Amino acid sequence: MMHIRLKFTKGNEVKYISHLDLMRVFQRALRRTGIPISYSSGFNPHMEISFGAPLSLGVTSNAEYVDLKLAEPMDVREIQRRLNDSLPDGIRILDGIEIRENHKSAMSVVSHSRYRIRIFMENVSSDELTKKIEEFAAQKEIKIMKEQPKKGFELKEIDIKPLLVSMKLIESKEDTYTIDCLLLSGSRGNLKPGLLIKAFKEFTGYDIQSIRINREQVYGLKNGKLLDLLEYESAEA
Amino acid sequence: MKYDNTREFIYEELLSKVEKPGRYIGTEWNSIHKNPETVDIRFAFCFPDVYEVGMSHLGMKILYHLLNDQQDIFCERVFAPWPDMEEVMRKTGIKLFGLESRDFIDSFDFVGFTLQYEMSYTNIVNMLDLAGIPKRSGERNEGHPFVVAGGPCAYNPEPLYDIVDFFMLGEGEEQLLEVMEHYRKWKDSKGTREEFLKMAASVRGVYVPKFYNVEYNEDSTIKSIKPIKEDIPGKVRKRVIKNLKGSYFPDKIVVPFIDIVHDRIMLEIFRGCTRGCRFCQAGMIYRPVREREVEELLEIADKLIQSSGYEEISLSSLSTSDFSKLNELVERLVSRYKSSRIGLSLPSLRIDSFSLKLVQEVQKVRKSGLTFAPEAGTQRMRNVINKGVDEEDLLNSVGAAFETGYSSVKLYYMIGLPGETMEDIQGIADLTFKVVDRYYQVPKEKRGKGLNVTASASSFVPKPFTPFQWEPQDPINTLIEKQRYLQKAIKKKQITFNWHEPYVSYMEAVFARGDRRLCDVLIRAWELGCKFDGWDQYFDFEAWLQAFKDTGADPDSYAARRRELDEVLPWDHIDVGVTKKYLRGEYKKSLKGELTRDCRTACTGCGINLLQEGGVCK
Repeated sequence: MMHIRLKFTKGNEVKYISHLDLMRVFQRALRRTGIPISYSSGFNPHMEISFGAPLSLGVTSNAEYVDLKLAEPMDVREIQRRLNDSLPDGIRILDGIEIRENHKSAMSVVSHSRYRIRIFMENVSSDELTKKIEEFAAQKEIKIMKEQPKKGFELKEIDIKPLLVSMKLIESKEDTYTIDCLLLSGSRGNLKPGLLIKAFKEFTGYDIQSIRINREQVYGLKNGKLLDLLEYESAEA
Repeated sequence: MKYDNTREFIYEELLSKVEKPGRYIGTEWNSIHKNPETVDIRFAFCFPDVYEVGMSHLGMKILYHLLNDQQDIFCERVFAPWPDMEEVMRKTGIKLFGLESRDFIDSFDFVGFTLQYEMSYTNIVNMLDLAGIPKRSGERNEGHPFVVAGGPCAYNPEPLYDIVDFFMLGEGEEQLLEVMEHYRKWKDSKGTREEFLKMAASVRGVYVPKFYNVEYNEDSTIKSIKPIKEDIPGKVRKRVIKNLKGSYFPDKIVVPFIDIVHDRIMLEIFRGCTRGCRFCQAGMIYRPVREREVEELLEIADKLIQSSGYEEISLSSLSTSDFSKLNELVERLVSRYKSSRIGLSLPSLRIDSFSLKLVQEVQKVRKSGLTFAPEAGTQRMRNVINKGVDEEDLLNSVGAAFETGYSSVKLYYMIGLPGETMEDIQGIADLTFKVVDRYYQVPKEKRGKGLNVTASASSFVPKPFTPFQWEPQDPINTLIEKQRYLQKAIKKKQITFNWHEPYVSYMEAVFARGDRRLCDVLIRAWELGCKFDGWDQYFDFEAWLQAFKDTGADPDSYAARRRELDEVLPWDHIDVGVTKKYLRGEYKKSLKGELTRDCRTACTGCGINLLQEGGVCK
């Protein structure tokens, strides 16, 4: 028996693959590689594989995480190599480590995500945009109507201010601007970057014509520090 | 934002605006990507329905890889864009594109449609329109692709005669490559469109509608269908692969990103069926029966699992139980894949005590449900349709199933069968109740909990090349009356009753036995907004009636008219091997309620063994 955690990309080629479909992609890729994955016991055995925080449809990422349980040990580099030969373009295993048997699942430790949002718009200077972002983030409350998929897409007003940790303009090039933001992620509070941009659009009235979002990193909070999910497992408790 | 090319524009701008972008990505595992600059022939393989349906189709998987195995051919997949995608395509001027390259298909050499059901025809018109390809054959010129079609509905090609340049009848594995060979020669010779059509017509199984002339009688029935050129065959014979042993089967299949209708490996164990049910078109047109050998099937299964990573194999055929070495195949598949947890499913199984053991072997854990197809409620009716199952067989089988713990069964019936009376309808309710009673005869401790019997009644649609091809369909009102009767008669809390939309079945009956005059109706219906007619939320019966009115055609003369046995039928110039004489004989036997035996026991003289030199029937 062996537990491993892998870090992988979800590139532009696979950004339209939903979380559920991504699981199937991994299961089938694993079956093609012959990696000795462990199966749950019980009525309907399934592969012991679990993912970190789900990514919104259309968002790319440099840092997704998946935990695997193997029936017998195998070198992590070998797993990485085999999977990279068997995964579709856009999904690349970047790194991996063996983790303790009694680890906390990737899903349960996620607390924050860092995103880079690239927007395209005309007739706005970078100074003005910087100022607007500051004003936006400094509000006491940031109210926005949110669709609730589980309630027939009924709209509900929520305050996203507590979910927004930081937001700043880090690059402007012609009419394309890159905004970096750190948002709460996971079961204790979750803000999707798309909703943040929606709120920002409403606040400024900007005509943002195109948006590309990439997740830069996913963190867990340990001893007051934000650690990425590989560091989280390798750090001393 | 500016994009370097259309490929990127479609991906970034269009796909971000549709509900299921996974339908249009085109980079699924095992999809084939070639450099368009390095190939000579580009083929758009079009399935006129949504991705999830089309990707579940075995024939497409076979032919996609067959064509792409040719170095100089690049075959891409195209499905009917869902209306949300169509809307953004039309808004932005994006024409119908091949999924792999995202190049517009109007510049391809071939645009090929597979015809699986009549209610997909308006999607063909819509897809041609989206592609910017003229809808009528006569309006296309040297710069346009050839529009071709195949599949089961191509056996009555006439309703599409003015849309499709040529049809390929029968199994495509050999024929398609022969057509491609002619195309290479024709391209080199820089000939005219007409010249290529002539070359194609020399391939056995190819039907070029414009080379035939149809004359009508005063009562608007058909007088004759004759070739207008000397070197064109009077009858077009379907193609069959003589022996499945060693015949082409791909060693990889495209694995979709999104969930599709049949998301598993389909292992084709044999083609054809010998049962001879009189309503069943597949049972006639896919003859003769040819099995693949167990060793070869195991080899194919191994390769497909290795290359796809699928977790399930489904045995594919018209009647799984009739595979002569089923036991051996199932045992070997199960023992081979048990440790890697690959599941096996056995659809279209005739459930008897023997096969029940097999099913138990296969479904050790998952007890989904079992499906039975008595098709009719009374023995009289089952004799008429030559369904060789009696009530005792059925009750024994469901009884055995209940005794081994199954508590969920599905029963398939048809209503509107030839000569059906209300007694036969009552018989459906009675038989379903007997199945319920059979469950309660099993001791409580032995049977599974929570009985659920689903009874589905579809409306009978008479099809070409069946013994019922001369029969009228029940009028819509009669079908509705029968459905209502059943709804009341079958009411019980353990029974769920399903039925089909009778208006759709009516239109299906019109087109199944339609002739050339329906082509204008079809195009008019599309102009009036008809598409995705197989989807209840899009089917618009009023628009269809309007289309008939506008073109002066009478739908009842196709669906509701009894044809004379000596009438020239719109598909009389097509030869599927099973002869008209045999079908007539079967029709007459049905009137007397006489059974015809399974032809595995002894030949019943359907004519298929004369289709090809040397015979193909065992």
